Amino acid sequence: MKPNPPKYALNFLRWFCREDYLEELEGDLIEVLEMQWETSPKKARRNFGFQVIRHFHPEFIKPITAENKLINSAMYLNHFKIAWRHIFSKKLYSFINITGLGVGMACCLLILLYVKYELSYDQYHEDLDKIYRVTHAYKSLEEKGKPTAPEAFQVWGCAPVGPAMLKDFPEVKSFFRFTSPNNMLFEYEDKRFQEDNLVFADSNAFEMFSWKLLAGNPETVLDEPNTVVLTEKIAHKYFGSEDPIGKVIKVDLGEDAVFKVTGVMENVPANSHFAFEGLVSMSTFRRFRSEIFDWWGYVDFYTYFTLNENANIASVENKIPEFVEKYTGNWENSGYDIAFEPMSDAYLHSVAGRQPGETGSLQNLYIFSSIAIFILLIACINFINLSTSRSLERAKEVGIRKVVGAHRQILMGQFLSEFILLSFFAAVLALLLVVLFSPILQDLTGKPISYQNLLEWETFPSLFAGVVIIGILAGGYPAILLVNFQPAKVLKGAFKSTGGGVALRKGLVIFQFSLSIALMVGTAVVFSQLQYLRNHDLGFDQEQMVIVDFGWDGKVQEQIESIKNTILDHPNVFSIAASRAVPGNFLPNAGTNIEGPDGEMVSFGPTIYEIDQDFISNYKIEMAAGRAFSRDFPNDTSQSLILNESAAKMWGYNNPEDMIGKRFEQWGKSGIVIGVVKNFNYQSLHKKVEPLSLRYEPYSMRKFSIRIKSDNIPATISDLEKTWGELVPHRPFLYSFLDETFDKQYKADMRFGQLFSVFSGIAILIACLGLFGLTAYTTSQRTKEIGVRKVLGASVSSIVTLLSAGFIKLFFVALLISIPLSWYVMNRWLEGFAYRVGVGYELFIISGAIALLIALFTISWQSLKAAFANPVNSLRSE
Amino acid sequence: MKSVSLGEFEELVLLIVAAQHDQSYGVSILEGLEEQLERKVSISAVHVALKRMDEKGFVKSRFGGITKDRGGRRKKFYVITALGKSMLDQQYALRTRIYQQIPKISFT
Repeated sequence: MKPNPPKYALNFLRWFCREDYLEELEGDLIEVLEMQWETSPKKARRNFGFQVIRHFHPEFIKPITAENKLINSAMYLNHFKIAWRHIFSKKLYSFINITGLGVGMACCLLILLYVKYELSYDQYHEDLDKIYRVTHAYKSLEEKGKPTAPEAFQVWGCAPVGPAMLKDFPEVKSFFRFTSPNNMLFEYEDKRFQEDNLVFADSNAFEMFSWKLLAGNPETVLDEPNTVVLTEKIAHKYFGSEDPIGKVIKVDLGEDAVFKVTGVMENVPANSHFAFEGLVSMSTFRRFRSEIFDWWGYVDFYTYFTLNENANIASVENKIPEFVEKYTGNWENSGYDIAFEPMSDAYLHSVAGRQPGETGSLQNLYIFSSIAIFILLIACINFINLSTSRSLERAKEVGIRKVVGAHRQILMGQFLSEFILLSFFAAVLALLLVVLFSPILQDLTGKPISYQNLLEWETFPSLFAGVVIIGILAGGYPAILLVNFQPAKVLKGAFKSTGGGVALRKGLVIFQFSLSIALMVGTAVVFSQLQYLRNHDLGFDQEQMVIVDFGWDGKVQEQIESIKNTILDHPNVFSIAASRAVPGNFLPNAGTNIEGPDGEMVSFGPTIYEIDQDFISNYKIEMAAGRAFSRDFPNDTSQSLILNESAAKMWGYNNPEDMIGKRFEQWGKSGIVIGVVKNFNYQSLHKKVEPLSLRYEPYSMRKFSIRIKSDNIPATISDLEKTWGELVPHRPFLYSFLDETFDKQYKADMRFGQLFSVFSGIAILIACLGLFGLTAYTTSQRTKEIGVRKVLGASVSSIVTLLSAGFIKLFFVALLISIPLSWYVMNRWLEGFAYRVGVGYELFIISGAIALLIALFTISWQSLKAAFANPVNSLRSE
Repeated sequence: MKSVSLGEFEELVLLIVAAQHDQSYGVSILEGLEEQLERKVSISAVHVALKRMDEKGFVKSRFGGITKDRGGRRKKFYVITALGKSMLDQQYALRTRIYQQIPKISFT
C-alpha cells in the first residue's frame, strides 16, 4: 500500500497554514511519513497527525489580515449593519414583529414556569421513585370480587392494611400511615387556637420522606404517645422566638390532655401533595381507639409504603386478590379491594378519590401548553406575513447583492441572521415581561411561582436555542422567498408584484383567525359555565348563612339546645341548626340496609349526613315525601332515617312516597324511613347528587348554621361573638359564610377561567397586531389607487369595503373552521362538570361577532385613514 | 528591528545547514540532527527554527524541482547567508574565548 497521510490532518494543516509554507511543510511531513511507513504504517499515520498539531504554531498560522481571514467577519458585520438599519428604518413593522414575538415568548415562558412548577410536585423526596401508596375501594355486594374501576378507588382507607402488607409481602420494606386532619384546640399560656390541619402519623415519617427536621431526633420524635412535631409556622405561632422543644401544649382531647413538642420541621413545601401543618404521634391515636387499628372497615388512614431494593411492584400487585380475600373475604354485605399508585403520580395522575391534599389537573397543563404554542404560532405567522408581503422592498437589494456575486447560501444567511436578530430583541423584551408579570402569574395561579425558577444553567442555552429556532421558523420562508428573486427581473425595474406567498399568506391569516375565534369561544364557554355554577339552584338556600365551627366540643354538644335558643333570641337571627358538616364539606359513607320494594333488605353505601331536627327547615330543603325530623317525635334520634331522591331511586323506589315506612338498619340503628328530601347539591357541582341518608345524631354535631338578616351583618356577627363568649368561653368563635366557603370549591375553576381568558386575550391581541400590520402595508401599497378612485368619485364607504372585503372573506372561512373545533374541545372540558351549561349556537354567534368587531376595528383603523386622506397628497408626487 | 540573537537549537540547525551546504532541506536537517544528537527531534521544531532564521536573515531558501517523491511536493533547500556564517563565527569565537579561560586544573 502506498503511504498516504490521514485526510483530516492534512485538511486541518491546509486550513490553518500559510499558503507560502504549505508545500514545504506538507512535503517534509510526507517524507517523514514515508520513512516511518516501513516500520509501522499505523504509527506513521498517528505521528503525522501529531506532527501536524505540533505545527499549529504562530509561525505557520495564516496572518489575521483582511484577505486571509479564517472567518470572514467583514461580510457578517455588513449583514449586521444592514439588518440593524432595516429594523430601525421600518419602525412600525419592527415594533409589530418584536412586540408580537416578545409577548408570545413571554407567554410561553410564563406558561412554562407554571407547567414546570406543576411538574415539580413532590420531586423533593429523595426516594420518590421507591414510594408507593395504597388506594382502597369499598364495594357493594354486587361488585364484590369483580375488577374495580380506577375511579372507584380512594386514597383514604383503613389502618391494618399497612402492617398486613409488611407481614405478607417480603417485597415491602416499610409502611407509613397518617390520618385525615383533626381539629384540636391548642392552648399554650395565653394563646389558644383551633388547629385544623394536624394529622396523626406513624413514627417513620422522617425516614421515608425528605422533610427536614429542624430540631429533634428524626428517629424518635414520634415514638412516644402525646408527642407532636410542629411545622415552623405553627411553632412560631405559639412560641415565637422561644425554643419549642420540650414545651407542653394543652389540647382538648379529654381531661388534662397535653402534647409535648418533640420536634420542629420545615413547613411542608408548597409543591407537595401533602398539606398538614403538624404531626402527632400515631401512638396517641392508638391510646384513644386501639380497636380501629384492626378494623378493615374503618376508614381514616392514608397508607404509603416503600419497596426493598430490586423488588418489583408488579410482583406485589399480583398478590392483591389473594391478600384481599384473606383479610376481607368474610365480609357479608360488601367488598374491598386495593391498588397501588406510585407517589410520583399522586399530584397529576391520580384518579382516586379522597386525596390528602390538593391535586393538579394534567388536562389543564395540556390546555395551557397548547395555548402557549398557539400564541407563539400566531406571533410567528405575523412575522411571516409581514415579511413576505414586504419582500418587494428588499428586491433591489437582493438583485444587487446577487449581481456582485453573493451566493444563495450567503444571502440566506444574511436574511436568517437578520430575522434571528429580531428574535433576539424579542427575547430580551420577553425576559423583561416575564420579570414584570411573574407576580401576576402568582396571583392568577395561586402558586408561589417566581421568575427565579428560570435562573438555572440549562435555561440559557435552551433559551438561546429557542430564539434561533423561532428566528428560523418565522424567518425561513420569507428568507427563501427573498433569495429566489432573479436579479435580471428585479433590476429591470418592471418588477411589481411578488405573486409568491399570497395563497400561503391567506392560509396563515385564516389559521390565525381560526385560533383566535376558537380561543374566544373557549373563554365564553368557561365564563358561562362559571356563571352557571354560581346561579345554579342548589336545592337549599346558602345566602346569609353563618357557620360556626365548635369542633365536636363535648360541652357544647351537652347543652346544644340551650345554646341554640340563646342565639335564636337575637333579633337578627332567623333560624339555627346544628350538624356534623355543612354543604361543601366532606361526608363519610355508611353501609345501609333498607327494605326494597319486594320486601327484601338491600344493602348500599350511601353518604351519611348527621343533622338535627332544625337542619332541613333552616336550609329550606324541600321534602319530596314524608316528614322531616321533629321534636314531636322523640324516637327520631334512634329509629328514623331520611333519604334523598337519588337514594330512593337507588333502592328501587321511583315514587318517593312508597319508601316511607320501610325498615332500615344503619350503623347500629334500626327503624323506619320517615321522609325523602328533594335532591340538593351538598357537594360541588362537579358531581351529581349522590345517594344520601340523613340521620339525627345529637352527639355528632360540629357546626352551627345560623341564618341571619341581610342588613347590618357586621353588627350581628359581633353580637354573636359576644354571646358566644358568654356561652362557650373556652372556645374561640370561628365563623365563616356558607356561600363563600361553598364557592371555594370552584376556586380552581375560577383560576382556570382567569388564566384561560388572560392568555386567550393575549393571543387575540397579537393576532390583531399582525392584522393591523398587514392592512397598514397593503393600504400603503394602494394609496395611489385610492387617490385615483377618490378623484373619480368613490365614496368613503366603498373604499373601506374595497380594502376590508378580502379580510372579511378570510374571517368567515376561519369562523367555519373554528366552530367545530372549539365545540369539540369545550365539550370535552365541560365533561368535568356534572352540571354544565350547553354550548349553544348563541355562544358562537356572540364570540364570532365580537371577533369580527375586533377584526373590523383593526382593519378600519387603516382603511378609514386611507379613505379620508386627501387624494392630492397621494397623487401630486408623480 | 528583529533581534539578531541565536537560540541554542537554532544554532544547531544553522550548523547543520552550513555543513550540508546547498543540499539541506527539512528532512535532511532532521536526520542530521538526530544523527549528531543521538535523540529524536520533532520536524516542527526544525521548521520553526528555519522560519525564524529565515526572517532574521541567517539562511535563505529556494525551491527544488518537482519529483515523484514526497507526493509530488517540492523540497525547499536552505543555504547559510554571510550574516549567518558570521553569527556562527561569533558564537564559535565566544565559546572558544571563554573555554580558554578555564583554569588548567583537574575537576573532580
